[in-house]
Amino acid sequence: MAYSVNVSVEAPIENQIQEITYDGQEIYQAPLTLSENLAKIAQKIDFSKTNGEDIKKESESGEKGEEDTKDSASFQSSLWPWDSVRNKLRNALTEVCVLADVLAIAKEKHYMVLDPVPQEPAEVKPMIQVYARKKALAGAASVIMMGADRLKNCQNELARNRSTPDFHIELLRLRQNWRLKKVSNSIIGDLSYRTAGSKFPQTGMFEVTKAEEEEKSSTSPPASPSAGNNVSGQTHPPNSKASALRVTIPSELQGVAYIEVLCQKDQEDLCSANISLLNNSAHSSNADMHWQQKLEAAQNVLFCKELFSQLAREAVHLRAPIPHMVVGNQIMATVLPGIQLIIGLCHSTGNDKKPAAPPPHKSDHDHVLEHSLHQLLREVHHKNTHHPFPHPSSGPLGPSKRRCLAGPTAADRYELLEMTKSQTLLEQIIQQAQHYFMRLRTEYVLDTIAKEVKDPLIVSHWNALNSPTQSCVKINILTHGYDTVCRTSLVVHIGEKSLKCVCRDGRVMHMSYEPQELRDLIFCQIYQHQITAVQALAKCMGWQFLANSSHLGLGAVEPLGNASSCILASPIGDRMIAVRCEPQTGVQVAIAHSPRKDFFPGQLVRERKWENLGGSFKEVRWDKMEGKNFLNKMELLMASLTSS
Amino acid sequence: MAAQRALPQSKEALLKSYTTRLKEDVKSMLENFEEIIKLAKGENDSQLSRMTQCEQDTYEMHVRAANIVRAGESLMKLVSDIKQYLILNDFPSVNEAIAQNSKLFRTKQAECDQKLASLRDDMAADLYDLEEEYYTSIYK
Repeated sequence: MAYSVNVSVEAPIENQIQEITYDGQEIYQAPLTLSENLAKIAQKIDFSKTNGEDIKKESESGEKGEEDTKDSASFQSSLWPWDSVRNKLRNALTEVCVLADVLAIAKEKHYMVLDPVPQEPAEVKPMIQVYARKKALAGAASVIMMGADRLKNCQNELARNRSTPDFHIELLRLRQNWRLKKVSNSIIGDLSYRTAGSKFPQTGMFEVTKAEEEEKSSTSPPASPSAGNNVSGQTHPPNSKASALRVTIPSELQGVAYIEVLCQKDQEDLCSANISLLNNSAHSSNADMHWQQKLEAAQNVLFCKELFSQLAREAVHLRAPIPHMVVGNQIMATVLPGIQLIIGLCHSTGNDKKPAAPPPHKSDHDHVLEHSLHQLLREVHHKNTHHPFPHPSSGPLGPSKRRCLAGPTAADRYELLEMTKSQTLLEQIIQQAQHYFMRLRTEYVLDTIAKEVKDPLIVSHWNALNSPTQSCVKINILTHGYDTVCRTSLVVHIGEKSLKCVCRDGRVMHMSYEPQELRDLIFCQIYQHQITAVQALAKCMGWQFLANSSHLGLGAVEPLGNASSCILASPIGDRMIAVRCEPQTGVQVAIAHSPRKDFFPGQLVRERKWENLGGSFKEVRWDKMEGKNFLNKMELLMASLTSS
Repeated sequence: MAAQRALPQSKEALLKSYTTRLKEDVKSMLENFEEIIKLAKGENDSQLSRMTQCEQDTYEMHVRAANIVRAGESLMKLVSDIKQYLILNDFPSVNEAIAQNSKLFRTKQAECDQKLASLRDDMAADLYDLEEEYYTSIYK
């Protein structure tokens, strides 16, 4: 083959023309880079084709193999970097195909059965197993020990700080003093006065919970138990540590309440009677108060509310000449003309720590009347529960004892009607307030008279035995130094709106609430006393007692009472003393000599015997007389007249 | 028995539940303990590998130990519950406490009354003398 010509094929040097513009200019394509060239050539490879050919070639004869390998070698030479990839993919395909065949055969179970191959067991030494078990047991033991330790610690802690009483001991104490019951998971208590006879609808429920642990550690100063707190009768645990119990009371019962009772003279400070907070509200708001105090305070709040609502209801229903007023938490009632009784409910919730400025009329608060109010409501409670014996086996419970006796004693209609009358709390407290004012007025009148009148001494003795609506004073009128000679005593009974005076002679006078009436009476008594004292003195001195009139119709008309007078004669009858006492002008004394020592016969009276008829009286200038007091002066006068 | 029968239904049920709780807790303690001991023997063969078995045993032991602890705590709770029940429902002792308190208060009341009465008598006598002295003096 000498003529064989080598034809070399090579890529044109020129680049391919991409576009020819209209002016004939040729735009060439940019030459491919190396990597682009590679990618372009790689696209031409048909892997499936080559693989199929290869498998066929492998399964067929080996003679063609040389050619193929030569071909492939010549072919591969240009695609060298992709050879390994192709090989691996081919191998993978082979294996997958084999697996598919095997699975297909195994599924038929005619020719082939799959059996597990006994594998070499992992070598586990018995000691390792023992160790593992030991470790497991140790773990379990530690869990149990931890649990036990916790329980033990709990007990130890309780035992160590004995000062913190156990929850159950506290609960026992609480149970002994308050009503408790268990409702599902919580302990509910009741602090209302229901069991004591109250019919107030508001409930006094409180909840008892166990105090949290952190509260134990808190060292805030607890409220010291006050002396009045010893209601339970047993010493409370020292409050150095917080109690293990916590009571939760409803918010409307928190804080401190009291009933304020004011008596006002005039209308003017009506607006200033605003309800004030308690001064010690800061103290009461202390969160960690002992439960006993807390519950007692709440109970007191409830009691005050009940009392006030009762009073307000009565004030609305009660008919009075001047109607009672209920405004907000105040009740105003007129006790006596110009004097009001104001009953207010003061409730300070513990929320506002800052106590209000103390009201200016704080001192006016009447503790006695407040106490009386409490007492009255408690009486009502007591009556609600304590019915008089014997109880009827049939019939309503609760008629009064008098009513029970009404049948056997054949009470008439009037008596029965009287029985049905009962006084409300407000009426009773108004009566007490009235009595209080009557007493004050009487005291004032007596004291001022005692100050004004020096000559007969006015000694008043107040009776120690009295009731809230009745008291009694005994008045002695006597002259200093002559108290055995004469003593006028009278008794004044002070009621609610009237006074009753029992005089020495057994007369009974009824007076109204006006103090002037009593004053007039006392003045009359003073001058009557003077006259009777003079008479008694005259008896001692041997003088004769000629005439006496306690209500003299002579002289100027007195504005109050009448003048009283008496006429005395000396033992031998030659001298006379006339005494006239009147409340307005005081005492007038006149003397007369019946036979005058010096007689000058005149035209009318010619003989001395006519002188015995008595002569004209001459007034003694009483203020110039010697003597400490009226009776002393009288005594001196009588003595001087007797001797001369 | 009569007293028991007098108890209302719910109370009786509650008491029974306390008994069952006690029994259950004790039984649970015992059973768990037995199981732990059984596991410690380690005789049981299973398909699992030894290591897995060990792990499982360890875990089971821990759980059972925790169960024992729980039963213990539950017993403590039971004790506390019974105490509470006793405190809240022991009416004889409450009555006794009330009677004692009321007696105490009555004596206290009598004492106070007596003291007040004697104080009143003394004051009344003194007041009489003072009144007498005051009203007869010239300084008023």
